[in-house]
Amino acid sequence: MNPMPSSRRVRDLEERVAQLESEIAELRRHHLRVAELADVMTELVLPLADRDPDRVERAIAAFNASL
Amino acid sequence: MEREWRPVVPHRLARRLGARLRVRAVDLDGLELTVRGPDRVVDVLFDGRRIWSFWVVRDTHGQFGLRRRVAWPDRMLRFLDGRSRVEIVEHVTGVRLFEREVAFTDADRRVAFRNPRGLEISLDKSGRFSPTFSGRGDQVASLLDAMEEVVAALAELGVTAFPAWGTLLGAVREQGLLGHDSDADLAYLSSYQVPVDVARESFRLQRALNARGFSTYRYSGAAFRIQVTESDGATRGLDLFAAFFDHDRLYVMGEVGADYRREWLWPLSTCRIADREFAAPARPEKLLEASYGLGWRVPDPAFKFTTPRDVTRRLDAWFRGTAPHRADWERALAGRPRLRTGPSALARLVHSEVPAGVTVLDIGVGHGRDAWWWARQGRAVIGYDYVPRAAATALQQAEEAGHPLTLRSLNLTELRSVLGEGAWISRRPGPRVVVARHLLDATTATGRDHLARFASMALRRGGRLYADFALETPTDAAGSRAGLDADEVASLLEEHGGRVLSTATVADGDTAGPVARLTAEWR
Repeated sequence: MNPMPSSRRVRDLEERVAQLESEIAELRRHHLRVAELADVMTELVLPLADRDPDRVERAIAAFNASL
Repeated sequence: MEREWRPVVPHRLARRLGARLRVRAVDLDGLELTVRGPDRVVDVLFDGRRIWSFWVVRDTHGQFGLRRRVAWPDRMLRFLDGRSRVEIVEHVTGVRLFEREVAFTDADRRVAFRNPRGLEISLDKSGRFSPTFSGRGDQVASLLDAMEEVVAALAELGVTAFPAWGTLLGAVREQGLLGHDSDADLAYLSSYQVPVDVARESFRLQRALNARGFSTYRYSGAAFRIQVTESDGATRGLDLFAAFFDHDRLYVMGEVGADYRREWLWPLSTCRIADREFAAPARPEKLLEASYGLGWRVPDPAFKFTTPRDVTRRLDAWFRGTAPHRADWERALAGRPRLRTGPSALARLVHSEVPAGVTVLDIGVGHGRDAWWWARQGRAVIGYDYVPRAAATALQQAEEAGHPLTLRSLNLTELRSVLGEGAWISRRPGPRVVVARHLLDATTATGRDHLARFASMALRRGGRLYADFALETPTDAAGSRAGLDADEVASLLEEHGGRVLSTATVADGDTAGPVARLTAEWR
């Protein structure tokens, strides 16, 4: 038997649903963030490891032109 | 798709009384109709050309009895100067309900719906004015050429694109392009099932198309536009949407999320648009049903999506948020820039405090009023914006006069743009200062965080940031301007390595309400 009055229980559940929704949205937003970071890593950071400054400049210009 | 709008008189009663649709009046205020029976869509023609369509119940307001009124869409009002032969025609049956010469004003001219390039325009289903396909056979051909070109380029990248949304609808229903549509949509089935991979694939395709010389414009992590300039100089967009399966659920950016059988999509079949053949889902009618509901066979140029909330929530969180308010700013900045109204108070302050020879990075350059002024004082300026073309006039004038103004693209809400441009600017020699006037209060929390990151990259070898932002949310501002807490902004900058030198509350001649002026330093 739940001792809580039903109106209070409904309110609590509503709050819980809203929290869960926002937690799920937070997790879903990681997809785009991870995609962006992976893209930056493979397309920008790796080319920057090159020691030739001209090639680094070209890599940065190519990355910016690709967005 | 089930409609939430109910007819005024129940269908059964309307059948007994007889459905009725009569146009009572057309004037500068709008249209007055008598409507009985089911909701229908009507086209409004000016001098024989369709300009607008609306649903006679859904889009109108009840008056008394069967009378209903609808005002002209705001965007039409500025064109309603002069006279025109107005016709109201039922879209599906073609029955003409009204035809009369209407004088909207006393001006001795015909009402003309044309854009600044002189092209005939009409309202598309998203309520925007754009050149439409109707009666432009040569334009249809050049758009189809562009579609074929993009489809071929994507095929080389291992992706089979097929017409989607209104373009698929036109192909299946009319073997053509819908006259009231203004662009063409393509989709492809992603080989991935997880949103992060779908977004990476979309990045890869955009990168590859850019490398082939196409100009593109990203809407979200799963859709971007490929700009095609047509023979008459009009620029049209081909929008490319990702579709992917998550188990047995198909998602198509940006409105579909539905249980779907693979064999309805794959293997692809073909469809025709005019004299061209394109790929199509195995059973295109199933995709149209998922896109537009069961009523897709009935033409509806005033269609509105009723996407389930859970689908919108998923697509929003997975892919959207990379260009918030950009369309609003494009509209707000579309007019002729007024450069000669003098610089802002902040621009004068920066010019007086910052030594000559220091380059100004004007973030959120807009029309470029301040940037143009600094450049005229002989200062090197780099103007940044996610609507960079708004400052094209300022750039042109500066170039003609030999003033040192450069424009570069920067989208503060797209991490890749911030890091890519941050990497570029951090390698440029010479001292610089970052100015952000009414930028922090116009972007999102992500945009603010990214501005602080960009400043920390641009000022890695030392320099100052000047920022003006509203402390109270104004009621009449463009975009989403929201008042900020000066302490929170200061903490954000300090988290990114800045040291706040001063914060003051000032009255800004351009903005109602108090404005914070903050300077911070990176050393």
